[in-house]
Amino acid sequence: MVFYPVTLVLLLLTFVVQEFIPGISMAHHATLLLPPVFFFSAAVAVPFPMMLILAFITGFLWDARHLPAASEAVASSADSLISGAMASPEIVTGGGFGIGISIIIFGLLGTFLQGVRPLFKRGRVELPVLLVGFTTFVWLLLEYLIQTFLRGSLFFPTAVWTKLVTDTMLAMLASPLLFLLLYSLAGLSRYEIKYDGLKYSFDGR
Amino acid sequence: MKKLNILALLIFVAAVVSVFTLDTPTTREIQSRVMSVLSPFIHSSTAIEETVSNVGAPAVDPKEVRRDNERLQIEVERLRIISQKYVQTLDENNQLRELIEFKKNSAFKMTAARVIKRVSSTWWNTMIIDKGSLDGLATDTPVISSAGLIGKTGKMAPHMAEVILLTDETCRVSAKVDGTLEQGIISGERAGLDLRPDLRLRFLNRTAVLQPGATVVSTGEGGIFPAGLTIGRVKRFEMKDITGEAVVEPTVDFSQLRHVFVLDAQDNNAAAPSKTDSAVPKAVPVTEAQTKP
Repeated sequence: MVFYPVTLVLLLLTFVVQEFIPGISMAHHATLLLPPVFFFSAAVAVPFPMMLILAFITGFLWDARHLPAASEAVASSADSLISGAMASPEIVTGGGFGIGISIIIFGLLGTFLQGVRPLFKRGRVELPVLLVGFTTFVWLLLEYLIQTFLRGSLFFPTAVWTKLVTDTMLAMLASPLLFLLLYSLAGLSRYEIKYDGLKYSFDGR
Repeated sequence: MKKLNILALLIFVAAVVSVFTLDTPTTREIQSRVMSVLSPFIHSSTAIEETVSNVGAPAVDPKEVRRDNERLQIEVERLRIISQKYVQTLDENNQLRELIEFKKNSAFKMTAARVIKRVSSTWWNTMIIDKGSLDGLATDTPVISSAGLIGKTGKMAPHMAEVILLTDETCRVSAKVDGTLEQGIISGERAGLDLRPDLRLRFLNRTAVLQPGATVVSTGEGGIFPAGLTIGRVKRFEMKDITGEAVVEPTVDFSQLRHVFVLDAQDNNAAAPSKTDSAVPKAVPVTEAQTKP
């Protein structure tokens, strides 16, 4: 089965390509977030276990690359009864959450996308494209909401919506190309996209 | 649900739990490794961006001109900082001699770095500079320019580092309003993704009287940033439920940053004065600035 390892390699390549994609400064540095968009596109083309593997790799590498580094002093101050934030207000953890949150979000959204595999199998990409946009939007919004929850104030400036919508639109523009790529790859590797991910099977025994 | 799917789900959950239980040094090591692997591509993307932006430039040996320009910009920034420090130090000397027994502040070294790119990711305000761990930089080190404080270093690669900008909510600085006793914590606003977003100086006295235009400087009591680094100017004061809050305009234009200076980690603590020193409302504690190219 060549399709799976090639998809995995392509996913890793998207992290390299991401470095070459500039941000749109007038849209609050919104950009095409290629690795997550590729994952969302691939999630409808691969079975459930492979989707989970892709979700783990995408989430782990994304957080490792893009999450701010945790302060060195956090670990040492954690032992103290006085928290690091109280003792040294300048020492804070990376954005309120550490590596791993994206893995869970991608896992959940990937599971949701598995539901449109029958449509994708039939070559209908309209709904998958819309859903890739939807999942991109939900992923970014969830990250923001988690930050908001951890930092303790509800705050939604215009910049948040501008960035969310622009990122989503760019994801929806790119996803047909990614679907085309995955179709071509499936054809070349004689991989059959079939829906058997979450259905209940009972053979009577 | 198929048995294989259940097994995959269990393995996935176990893997996620193991990731969540990683300690801070391991996490930082992983982040540094990922950044190191990607650093050649980050450099290449910057080179491509520069090439594209220089397409319309005149054909007068652009590489030479650019190199000269960069060298001169660094030199100008360095001299500007030294000049500012010199004037401020003279002023500070006069005040300190009158007030307390002057404790000579140790000079700190600075490493000049070029801004490679502004990172466009999700909700964090960061940028990447061309100096890293092999150039003597460390995590959580203040980054400044002649205009004022820029932020602190984050992830490290051998010749590359991420700078968490002052406009990011996670970059908090213990700060005070110059000329007053008002002291608080300053940070950016969440999703402050504008080109020049305002900062918020929180936990001030509700009855504080702050003049618009007053300078906000670091206190040196927060654990990372030395005292006296210029942060911004007060735009307005807002009263909240329990405390007061000042809206501060940063002195640095973050969209125009080309060269920055990273303070040497080992000298930050030395530069940070005692509480007695910080009570003196004056700007920069540096007596002499040394730079490494």
